[in-house]
Amino acid sequence: MSEVAVVEESAGVPGGPIQAFTVTLIIRRFDPEVDAEPHWQDFDVEMYPTDRVLDALHKIKWEQDGSLTFRRSCAHGICGSDAMRINGRNRLACKTLIKDLDISQPIYVEAIKGLPLEKDLIVDMEPFFESYRAIQPFLIASDKPDKERIQSVAQRAVFDDTTKCILCAACTSSCPVFWTDGQYFGPAAIVNAHRFIFDSRDEGSQVRLDILNDKEGVWRCRTTFNCSEACPRGIEVTKAISEVKAAILRGNPGLPSSDLVLTPVGA
Amino acid sequence: MEFEDGAIIDGVHYHQFDVVIVGAGGAGMRAAIEAGPKAKTAVITKLYPTRSHTGAAQGGMAAALANVEEDNWEWHTFDTVKGGDYLVDQDAAEILAKEAIDAVLDLENMGLPFNRTPEGKIDQRRFGGHTRDHGKAPVRRACYAADRTGHMILQTLFQNCVRLGVNFFNEYYALDIVMTKVKGKDRPSAIVAYELATGEIHVFQAKAIIFATGGFGKIYKTTSNAHTLTGDGVGIIWRKGLPLEDMEFFQFHPTGLAGLGILLTEGARGEGAILRNASGERFMERYAPTIKDLAPRDIISRCMVMEVAEGRGAGPHKDYVLLDCTHLGAEVLETKLPDITEFARTYLGVDPVTTPVPVMPTAHYAMGGIPTNVKAEVLSDNDTVVPGLYAAGECACVSVHGSNRLGTNSLLDINVFGKRAGNNAADYSMTADFVPVPKNPAGFVLGLVEQLRDSNGTERIAGLRKELQEEMDKNAQVFRTDESLAKVTETIHVLRRRYKNVSIQDKGRRYNTDLLEAIELGFLLDLAEVVVFSARNRKESRGGHMRDDYPTRDDAEYMKHTMAYLTGDPHSADAADHITLGWKPVVITNYQPMERKY
Amino acid sequence: MTTIDAPRTPHTPVTKNRRVNWEKWGWLYMRASGILLVVLIFGHLFVNLFLGTGVKQVDFAFVAGKWASPFWQVWDVLMLWLALIHGGNGMRTIINDYAHGRPRQVMLGLVFAAVAILIVLGTLTLVAFDPCPTGADPSLLPSFCPASSK
Repeated sequence: MSEVAVVEESAGVPGGPIQAFTVTLIIRRFDPEVDAEPHWQDFDVEMYPTDRVLDALHKIKWEQDGSLTFRRSCAHGICGSDAMRINGRNRLACKTLIKDLDISQPIYVEAIKGLPLEKDLIVDMEPFFESYRAIQPFLIASDKPDKERIQSVAQRAVFDDTTKCILCAACTSSCPVFWTDGQYFGPAAIVNAHRFIFDSRDEGSQVRLDILNDKEGVWRCRTTFNCSEACPRGIEVTKAISEVKAAILRGNPGLPSSDLVLTPVGA
Repeated sequence: MEFEDGAIIDGVHYHQFDVVIVGAGGAGMRAAIEAGPKAKTAVITKLYPTRSHTGAAQGGMAAALANVEEDNWEWHTFDTVKGGDYLVDQDAAEILAKEAIDAVLDLENMGLPFNRTPEGKIDQRRFGGHTRDHGKAPVRRACYAADRTGHMILQTLFQNCVRLGVNFFNEYYALDIVMTKVKGKDRPSAIVAYELATGEIHVFQAKAIIFATGGFGKIYKTTSNAHTLTGDGVGIIWRKGLPLEDMEFFQFHPTGLAGLGILLTEGARGEGAILRNASGERFMERYAPTIKDLAPRDIISRCMVMEVAEGRGAGPHKDYVLLDCTHLGAEVLETKLPDITEFARTYLGVDPVTTPVPVMPTAHYAMGGIPTNVKAEVLSDNDTVVPGLYAAGECACVSVHGSNRLGTNSLLDINVFGKRAGNNAADYSMTADFVPVPKNPAGFVLGLVEQLRDSNGTERIAGLRKELQEEMDKNAQVFRTDESLAKVTETIHVLRRRYKNVSIQDKGRRYNTDLLEAIELGFLLDLAEVVVFSARNRKESRGGHMRDDYPTRDDAEYMKHTMAYLTGDPHSADAADHITLGWKPVVITNYQPMERKY
Repeated sequence: MTTIDAPRTPHTPVTKNRRVNWEKWGWLYMRASGILLVVLIFGHLFVNLFLGTGVKQVDFAFVAGKWASPFWQVWDVLMLWLALIHGGNGMRTIINDYAHGRPRQVMLGLVFAAVAILIVLGTLTLVAFDPCPTGADPSLLPSFCPASSK
């Protein structure tokens, strides 16, 4: 496991010789056509510290066992395909560098929890998207402007954080409430509701606040901060949920008033 | 054959839709938003829509809104034409630039959270090749949402598809288009798709079909493209004998993270970042004295490779240059370029706030693709339309990008031509009938899948793919020669032969990604061969196609689009035996070709 | 098949106006009672354990002396009710999170019963409290009792 070899050049970062390590990955496998229950399987792969867990999974799939199945696409943390549990924490495989893990120990990789397991590291994402669709994740506005709607920099800043969401489900599937109660909307749906509730151009915030005031809405949040820790985009998820709670109690989002710098006509 | 919508015959599922859109990236979903409310529409996508690579676009979307300084769409047209090294169809570029304004306003009205000016209008930033008054100075034309403009476009389009209840078939891989002979002419009648979850085959009969399948950057090793960008859509079209246009033109984005290819937006240079060589010199001053680091991508990539080739590269192996953002300050980086700041920190351990970031060109965008006219209708030769078949986005070649696409013009392209494709396809479907589907329409795909699943070959997918990608990086990248291209041609031929002897390990039906990687490799090999064959034939240097052996642009001989056709057995040894090349004239309206200086 | 159904039609807020939104009021209650309890409990601890001679002073006479005053009676009744409902509601949410079906019903019933019984008993004790019970050891009674030996 800790066997060390000095190799001329890394595949990743340009620079001097970088040590390659043999890393052990223990992956929770499940083939629905063969297995009754998931089981753990070990793989040894030669990795550079700057490689990502996704590279390790690729190496296994491409060189050792082609049947290892996982989702991935962009490989740099923007598409949200490869959320998985790595050493017990929800992370994107493509954003988790080997050097940031303790490689004297095996790396445990399994599918995210709380969604139906389909095969190896793949889960059924439909329930997740179902909650997302339920909070009406689209701008509701009745006016038909000729040009853009006006929005001040401050008004835009209020919901900036929650526009970063890539719907990877790392937050929702790290939430202990969601694990035991799949009916709970979950952090991701609330984050996406937040993105519209606090958008000054939107007119549907009352509807969304009502939806989230539901039995399975924001009040189920126990403020454990798992979601904030899991978010690969660094969204302050728990804070967003708290802001939605406050908005429900207030009865409105309490948006900042416009602070536009008005330029005189003809200026 | 006849069937009811929803029928299952011999294990194959049959569906009927007025409009079928293949691909759920920016262009596909923009088309769906138009077609969805008018016609019964299905979107078939190999990924969940929000996983599409549109989301990786960072810097912005160009439109001459003139929100922050004087600008107009005619200047934008000129920049697009000049940026494309005059191989742009100018009528199409004019449409692109003119409709850009509405395209941006559409997105804003759909909810896209653009960054704002102090007056509350959409903010704009500078970008490579976009200039004021025909090249006088850089202009602020790119509308943006931090450095995740593509992400916000993708999310906004998906949100609006949810609003409209668009029918998505997620994780369905389109693998074939069914053509039916009607009055001696081939007409598209259906799409055959493989459902990843179950391994079952679906036939989607449609009155109109839109291809919006994106690019094929995975023919290269160092690329900003996603693993899933394997050119399936373009490959499907190619295998039907329909032409592909300008395939030799591939864009290499100057600022990929060195060694990794992950993109750092041109918006960084738009905000003032500078490229430096090992000695700290701002080398672009030598090559493009007027707009320096904001020259178009082809020029900058070429200059970077030249700096390194001439020994002025940075780093222990002198094999990269540096993108210096240190003078921008932490605040600009954190607020306007947060994602790329994080990329550099995560993947290279370099903090752009304090340290210049190692960068090298990375394969980024295919200018070429499925030829279409300005109505997004696919062409079967220089001017014959294939009725009911449309293409938009990176997989299409209108051609608005010519031989080199300007930054921010692709997010524009998907919105302008995605919208056109959606509208035109929906309109067409209202007047047209279903083209009858021939007997056993899924036969080809069933055979392909069976053969791979049952194969006992000795070759492995990953090995072949790696060899292809490394060879393409080595010999068909920024600089090409006849000799280097000949080498790639030979490699591809060998790989293609070995590909016949490939086997997969996963023999299951559910979520068999092993099988699909094998099929994808087939498309990659086909497309790489077309790229290289077209490149060998163009004995000049223009835009994204730089020939060391023919270093100048030759308007007399090559001021025309390449049209490549598959006309023989793809496995024949000599590519010339199965690829036929033709030419298509460039549409010139206002701008006569001039020397391209910045 | 993994087709996406049309989005849910505009959500009808079932709980609005008709039923009490237990989740919302429960959540609010936990915060409000939490803040009050901090004051009440620390006030209680300060008076009982810190003022005077500290913990050594606490005996029947001390407690009886406090409960003779309506101020401390109200204080302690408040503390009793708020704390038990706070704890009970906390248990309720935990049970709702982790138990399902019959066990959930049984456990919720037990928690409810425990809270109710303790509140009733405690309240009775406080309200009906006689600081000078007849026949008690005079050395234990507070000084204001006629039978006190203090």
